[in-house]
Amino acid sequence: MKRRELLKSALLSGVVIAAAGHLSLANAATPDDQLVIAMNMSSMRGLDPHDLNQFESAEIAANLYERLVVLPADNISEPQPGLAESWTISEDGKAFTFKIRSGVTFHSGNPLTAADVEWSLRRLVKRGLAPSVDLRQWGFTAENVDTLIRAADDSTVVVETPEVWNPSLILYTLASFSTSILDSALLAGEERNGDMGGEYLQTRDAGSGPYTLRTWRSNDILIAEAYEDYWQGAPAMRRVILRHMPESASQRLQLEAGDIDIATRLSSTDLAQLAQGGQVTIQQTPGYGFYYLALNQKNEILANPKVREAFRYLVDYEGLAQGVMRYYGTMQQTIIPAGLIGAIEDNPYTLDIERAKELLTEAGYPDGFSMVYFANPNTPEGDLAQSLQANAAEAGITLNLQLGDHLGSFRARDFEVFSARSGDRLPDPHAVLQSYATNADNSDEANLTGINAWRTAWDVPAEIQEMVTAAAHETDQERRAKLYTQINEAYLASSPALITSFQRSDVKAIRANVQGYVGHSTWLTRWDTVTKQ
Amino acid sequence: MQSVSTENRLAGLTRALRKLATSLVVIATTLFGLLVITFVVGRMVPTDPVISLIGPEADQQTYERVYRMLGLDQPLYVQFFTYLRDVLSLNLGQSFITKNAVTTDLARVIPATLELSTLAILIGGGLGIPLGIIAAVRKGSWIDQVARVVGLVGYSMPIFWLGTLVILVFYAWLQWIPGGGRIDIYNEGIVSGPTQSLLIDSIIAGEWEVFWSALHHLITPALILGYASMAYLSRMSRAFMLEQLNQEYVLTARAKGLPGRTVVWGHAFRNIRVQLLTIVTLAYCGLLEGTVLIETVFGWPGLGQYLTSSLLYADMNPVLGSVLVIGLISIIANLLSDVVYRFVDPRTR
Repeated sequence: MKRRELLKSALLSGVVIAAAGHLSLANAATPDDQLVIAMNMSSMRGLDPHDLNQFESAEIAANLYERLVVLPADNISEPQPGLAESWTISEDGKAFTFKIRSGVTFHSGNPLTAADVEWSLRRLVKRGLAPSVDLRQWGFTAENVDTLIRAADDSTVVVETPEVWNPSLILYTLASFSTSILDSALLAGEERNGDMGGEYLQTRDAGSGPYTLRTWRSNDILIAEAYEDYWQGAPAMRRVILRHMPESASQRLQLEAGDIDIATRLSSTDLAQLAQGGQVTIQQTPGYGFYYLALNQKNEILANPKVREAFRYLVDYEGLAQGVMRYYGTMQQTIIPAGLIGAIEDNPYTLDIERAKELLTEAGYPDGFSMVYFANPNTPEGDLAQSLQANAAEAGITLNLQLGDHLGSFRARDFEVFSARSGDRLPDPHAVLQSYATNADNSDEANLTGINAWRTAWDVPAEIQEMVTAAAHETDQERRAKLYTQINEAYLASSPALITSFQRSDVKAIRANVQGYVGHSTWLTRWDTVTKQ
Repeated sequence: MQSVSTENRLAGLTRALRKLATSLVVIATTLFGLLVITFVVGRMVPTDPVISLIGPEADQQTYERVYRMLGLDQPLYVQFFTYLRDVLSLNLGQSFITKNAVTTDLARVIPATLELSTLAILIGGGLGIPLGIIAAVRKGSWIDQVARVVGLVGYSMPIFWLGTLVILVFYAWLQWIPGGGRIDIYNEGIVSGPTQSLLIDSIIAGEWEVFWSALHHLITPALILGYASMAYLSRMSRAFMLEQLNQEYVLTARAKGLPGRTVVWGHAFRNIRVQLLTIVTLAYCGLLEGTVLIETVFGWPGLGQYLTSSLLYADMNPVLGSVLVIGLISIIANLLSDVVYRFVDPRTR
């Protein structure tokens, strides 16, 4: 009996001690010199800036690496010097000469020279992975890049374009995460099967940015540490910690408890709750893309302009703007994102079932028709799709909604009605227009699968296409602005097969004591500007 | 006499060897079947791995390059045999999400899951079996009623819901427990020991702060998982025990005046040990699956989370690798319980 009593009391005291330890450890707020960001890391695919193609990874690359040109978050269309101290553009508009900043060192301690810039930009084109389109779209190829991009001496790099483009397009490209400058001397020793250090870079860094990578375990945690020898001085946050937290609800709870400083990708409901609390600011960063509806023009019914027009009256713009889309986008029925040249504030369409019915009758479908509708189930795409389905039903159109991942069918032109969200990374109308308003060859064989207009089998009116091409080559900014306004109006009037309803925005919830974390529209949000009070 | 026993032993050895050979064949067939099914299902998932790799905007040139890079241009059976060959040489391929070898990833996530599920089964078995037995012995008493309610709730409440509720109450409101993850981020990277179990490694390294942090994070998900298996184990052990208590030998034992404790623990319990072993093994394998949900709720970087996130993005190498490993663990657990039977039950010798 005695032994039993002893055991009992030992067990009990053990439990009490454990519980006490448990309590004293809870309630740890984040330290003043560390920044903790919760994000969904599921879609992150490695950290090589010439390979990645994704929002979360881009923000990391933005802080581990640097680029020739910087686009400030608050004044995104004004290129500022980055690794390039200054630049000049030749008379003919084809040659860009960059003076490389001296005194910059990579995290390895190697000095950054013009040779690194040359090697890095060539690497992007030669590896030919997803982000390489950033340079390839201006005519760079694996064959010509060695002659077109070259280091003239230790501190000068010349970038020549095969054709004349508006210089902003080139400068914007050289500010994109995909044109990050890599430590070529370090990577020379890490080459495997001609991958130019590709395998090495997936989980490590070779940059000169304000942060160095300390730990990365995918779908778990990423820890970056301040680079003490950063040429602009070591940043205020000694450590930046990114935690994988796919659940919106857990992000919200941890943000409220102070265990994290910034929550990303929250649901509408959680955002609305947080906005009321007062401890947190909700930051909405406009993105260069749209929530769009694509009507396959191979389908005889949908190819009728009146039917296309009818769909524009079936979107509940006002209702969605107040509800589901409140944090995810702003109403935009034209094709140039707000804030860029040529953007106009013209939203002439409203939800009007009667008008849609009239248009359907004029088109010869007074009793409507039935279509299969592919959409993404995520918030808010799924909600948008259901809203459209309900309105279409009232006008007599039966949309057989199939929620799922149908991007493959869209790329293969194998669909009837499809809706999704796009996102481009250049702060210039050309990026969006190229996809929505050009289609050089509408034949199946052309396989322009990167172009939304081709995917929709929409033969964009020739005058719109011509204007888009002309505007990209136009060097006079005023004429260019005028051209884009014209394109924008013409697109709106053309009953497009790609109907835009909302411009996307990306939302983050930030604790009130965190300053200087400014969402960047081309995914280059910086951590070195962050301070805590 | 001597020669007879040697002969017996030899015969026993042959029998054991034959048994071993049979189980090896069974294991190989099971694993092969598992591979075939996962492979086929994986190819039928309506997600395009190429697009999830290159993003929605990429052009056809890039698409085709990556398509070939992933070997998807090969016929399905060629892809399967290539995979099979790699598996046999212990190469589970590369994950295109993590960009690591799948074996490297698994070596990282499995210890996290084993740590969680082992503690959970200790809690579930340690509390559930005694509770079930006491409930059987005192059938109809208040303790039986309590056990029934505990079992019912544990059975019927989904663990992800219970987990969310616990986080809401004990983390968000009361702030007694940490909000997920395996360890406080500030204790990250201090200990990296031989066992990959943070609890054991931190003891070995003498890092007590890390130990407490790890325990602190582990205890809540383990309790919830443990509760679910406790519900199952207590109901089952109650049923087993009741069956024994109705047997004549128990009546005899009672009639000859043995004390109640000896009857229950010395006689009846000895007879249900084999059954208990079986259900504990089953419960443990079930826990490996249960971790999928609890790991998501608690942000636990284990096998379950690895498997689901890979599956969602059609990253098939990690999915196949994880399924293979879960299958292996289940098989090993069953084999072990077979071995233990032989010690517990003389009839199986």
